[in-house]
Amino acid sequence: MALSCPKCPSSSRFGIPQTQRTATASAPFYHFSIPKRDLATPMSSRTSNNRKHGPTCMREAITPVPVDEEEAPLENVENGLPAVRSNASWNTEVNSASGEDSTVSITVVGASGDLAKKKIFPALFALFYEDCLPKHFTIFGYARSRMTDGELRAMVSKTLTCRIDKRENCNDKMEQFLERCFYQSGQYNSEGSFAELNKKLKEHEAGRISNRMFYLSVPPNVFIDVVKCASKSASSLNGWTRVIVEKPFGRDSESSAALTRNLKQYLEEDQIFRIDHYLGKELVENLSVLRFSNLVFEPLWSRQYIRNVQLIFSEDFGTEGRGGYFDNYGIIRDIMQNHLLQILALFAMETPVSLDAEDIRNEKVKVLRCMKPLILDDVVIGQYKSHTKGGISYPAYIDDKTVPNDSLTPTFAAAAIFINNARWDGVPFLMKAGKALHTKGAQIRVQFRHVPGNLYKKSFGTDLDRATNELVIRVQPDEAIYLKINNKIPGLGMRLDRSNLNLHYAARYSKEIPDAYERLLLDAIEGERRLFIRSDELDAAWALFTPLLKELEENKIAPELYPFGSRGPVGAHYLAAKYNVRWGDLSAEH
Amino acid sequence: MALPSSHSCFSSTFSSFSSKNQERSLFTRSKIDFTPFSRIFTRFRVLQRKCFNNGHLIPLENDFGDTSTVEGPVKHFKATHDHFSSPEQNKTTLSIIVVGASGDLAKKKIFPALFALYYEDFLPEHFTVFGYARSKMTDGELRNMISQTLTCRIDKRENCNDKMEQFLQRCFYHSGQYGSEENFKELDDKLKEKETGKLANRLFYLSIPPDIFVAAVKSASCLAASQFGWTRVIVEKPFGRDSESSRELTASLKKYLIEEQIFRIDHYLGKELVENLSVLRFSNLVFEPLWSRQYIRNVQLIFSEDFGTEGRGGYFDSYGIIRDIMQNHLLQILALFAMETPVSLDAEDIRNEKVKVLRSMRTLQVDDIVIGQYKGHSKGGKTYPSYTDDPQVPNNSLTPTFAAAAMFIDNSRWDSVPFLLKAGKALHSKGAEIRVQFRHVPGNLYRRNFGTDLDKNTNELVIRVQPNEAIYLKINNKIPGLGMRLDRSNLNLLYSTKYTKEIPDAYERLLLDAISGERRLFIRSDELDAAWALFTPVLKELEEKHVAPELYPYGSRGPVGAHYLAAKYNVRWGDLSSEDS
Repeated sequence: MALSCPKCPSSSRFGIPQTQRTATASAPFYHFSIPKRDLATPMSSRTSNNRKHGPTCMREAITPVPVDEEEAPLENVENGLPAVRSNASWNTEVNSASGEDSTVSITVVGASGDLAKKKIFPALFALFYEDCLPKHFTIFGYARSRMTDGELRAMVSKTLTCRIDKRENCNDKMEQFLERCFYQSGQYNSEGSFAELNKKLKEHEAGRISNRMFYLSVPPNVFIDVVKCASKSASSLNGWTRVIVEKPFGRDSESSAALTRNLKQYLEEDQIFRIDHYLGKELVENLSVLRFSNLVFEPLWSRQYIRNVQLIFSEDFGTEGRGGYFDNYGIIRDIMQNHLLQILALFAMETPVSLDAEDIRNEKVKVLRCMKPLILDDVVIGQYKSHTKGGISYPAYIDDKTVPNDSLTPTFAAAAIFINNARWDGVPFLMKAGKALHTKGAQIRVQFRHVPGNLYKKSFGTDLDRATNELVIRVQPDEAIYLKINNKIPGLGMRLDRSNLNLHYAARYSKEIPDAYERLLLDAIEGERRLFIRSDELDAAWALFTPLLKELEENKIAPELYPFGSRGPVGAHYLAAKYNVRWGDLSAEH
Repeated sequence: MALPSSHSCFSSTFSSFSSKNQERSLFTRSKIDFTPFSRIFTRFRVLQRKCFNNGHLIPLENDFGDTSTVEGPVKHFKATHDHFSSPEQNKTTLSIIVVGASGDLAKKKIFPALFALYYEDFLPEHFTVFGYARSKMTDGELRNMISQTLTCRIDKRENCNDKMEQFLQRCFYHSGQYGSEENFKELDDKLKEKETGKLANRLFYLSIPPDIFVAAVKSASCLAASQFGWTRVIVEKPFGRDSESSRELTASLKKYLIEEQIFRIDHYLGKELVENLSVLRFSNLVFEPLWSRQYIRNVQLIFSEDFGTEGRGGYFDSYGIIRDIMQNHLLQILALFAMETPVSLDAEDIRNEKVKVLRSMRTLQVDDIVIGQYKGHSKGGKTYPSYTDDPQVPNNSLTPTFAAAAMFIDNSRWDSVPFLLKAGKALHSKGAEIRVQFRHVPGNLYRRNFGTDLDKNTNELVIRVQPNEAIYLKINNKIPGLGMRLDRSNLNLLYSTKYTKEIPDAYERLLLDAISGERRLFIRSDELDAAWALFTPVLKELEEKHVAPELYPYGSRGPVGAHYLAAKYNVRWGDLSSEDS
């Protein structure tokens, strides 16, 4: 079939589309409210139905197998959704259609921006290179600057790279890819310009069923304008239309709710793909695999065995002269409320009914709603100050020209958060995020409890805390999973130390790990919503942080200053100590 | 004397005596008598019919400040190290007598282990090593023989030759018959000479064939036991060949020794990763909750050698692989693996738990065992002999060189979990490992990603005892990349990458423990009884019915029957899965 992509790493999923399709019970909540234009075509509704745990490259286009009749009623029972059956029959219809008949147009709105250049176009190229894009696709850049197609291609080509492990044909492939890239200039609020875009898109779609994806890589203040224009003037008439939105999703509960409300004037929930690129990271994806496909972890995954959980993000650079956007948001909104909290939700959620997007997101919402809103006492904020080391001077945050001199915006935050449910009651979840620290990286650390009645107590010395097991999932850089265990030091006598049961990705897997954006773009193209944030998730996340953020701002609480390149403010240690926790990343062994 | 007074070994020698009353009275007396070289002493010795269990009481003498039996391995280990300069060091001495000094084990293992201990400063300052055997040899010849097998640790080459020279200076030889009291009396005289009036502790290592065990013990105990220090005897397998003969042997030994003097060695218990088994279980939170029938599907204990009897099958033929490997080494590891948490790490507490779990085990049934014998095989132009080609083996021998068995522990922790034991010679690989296969994930969300063979996707903990020591946990993991494909990766601890130090040989640990009086790794009489009770009926049945072993080619993976035995209990041998070969 036309769209099969044998080289695509996800191609293995093609082998089992039937099982995936039939055995999975998933109907998104929003199914009943499929927009009229979507109902006009089988494509769009089907895509919302058949999303299974594994995104396949354009699975809808390559599943010629009709849905198993015996399985369809099962779905009905599980969902209570009679609509599913009709979807199933749609599937058959569409499946009979050939991939020749459909096409995907990806419009990158804000094509001249940094994110587009550094992440979006390279990710699209990587997907193309790996044969994960459908046979017929078109990429449009849209921005205000005047540019020709050739100029866009020249700009894009500078950031495209070939994977280390697949250098051959790379230049040919790049050439082919660039041939599919076009540019349309226009204002973000001009329906006229979007209508022009629509015209050009139609030209390229050449009468095929057209699916359109808009990637909004634009500042938040023009979000709504773009969505309005795109939806009114450039929606697909016979295929699906989806919109990928980047953070920030508001700056507190109210503004976020307003944004969602506005988006929903023009889009249905299942058209909105709120991206949190941390959810596309390999080891975050693997978190659920670890928990749910291994017997050995899940029995330990509760307050009975886990003493605390730490979610740590650090950057070893500051705002570097581009603090304007950041200053308005601060580290809590920029990292903690989204990336870290999302990982925490995945970590702590109950077992979902299935791996379907809606089932997983239901569990995430549940666990977010079980959390206690953050209180000021459980948060430490910091801001980096200048520091001179080895003759080099590192600037303070407020030295950034785009940052006001009296800015109180935190560039560091540590917080303790609790989940009031049966599984996690009393277990501190510590989050820490900061810029201009001594290292960069993101990791999840799970510290286990002490061994009750430990026979080897005498071998540990006085600091029993150091002798507990710890599971570390290093999300970046240098992906790894390791479990710290106590082990006998080989030799005569009985001395113990901590060793790692280690899985170092670089040593185990020779393939390059794809960038988070590749995964997320592919998922969005395929309608896989598992890694995107649903509106109610977003609400729940803001509800936890909004009171705290308001209090910090209203009371003008000054951040604790810490030197550029240091380990962050000392306050973070005291916060941890308050809950009998030691930061795993700052222990002596590291 | 180099051994410190606070050293646990001395105290432990007598602290747990069964016949305390008698000893106490003796103790008082000997205390009064205690004057090295005094005539009284010799007279006393005669009066007491000086066998080990009399002479042995006198270690109470060295009660100067010593006591800490309870401290366990850590303490005693440290103590050995720390107290060399204590004033008592000049008062005691240690004599190690290797009986059967010209044998293979002595040459390959015992002397090198003693040297390694010396090299690492684990031996007391004053010690003497005596070789005892029937052959005529001078001290020089013995030294020459020993020196050929001594090696220096890779990580500590410096001074090695000096050290070797110093060590050899302490080695002496005495030739004599194993049953001759006369000869042992001569040995005793020589020992006394070397001991020069210090408080003498004596360790006899019996590296001799089983038929002369008792004779040697008798002579040694009656004529060469230490008069005012402890006397201990290390005994090597075989400890009998069934319940009756083992009990008989124990009874004979106990005529001359008390339980605390007998150190039955099972060198597998001295292996680093077997030692680590308890550390893993009991010092980590993450394993113990999984350690039961609720999570563990089966446990496999596997031993394989990639060579046959190589012309020396005489001894082996009368025992067979079940007695040679399974009933002792594998069963011991199993007991350590499966025992309940002991009250403490003390030898008696651990051995109590081992006895308990052994006694909870179901006696092995003939239906649950597969035996095999290797046959000749030609591969790549090379011909490998069959077992019966060994000139020392009768042509019609039915002795198994391979055995696989399924055993069950009928207690609440392990009910219906199959423990599979497998041991064989002339197989395709060599090694010893423990494999713990966990159950399926209930309600596995990722079921579809696994294909049809769910068994392949369960977690497995592997403890590779030898070679190339490692611990790894097989987990399911997402293959990095787009999409969702899972495979099995290892959470891995490879000893050679983490620990640069050479891992000491099992014999070093065991000798050191015997010197220190640490009995944790030695087999108590009741343990041995319990172990034999499990295997004796099946051994008898095999022999009485002349059950023929399944033949398997030299260098193969063993008889197919082992797979069927495993399949009967829904088990797959972890070592023969495609990923590991």
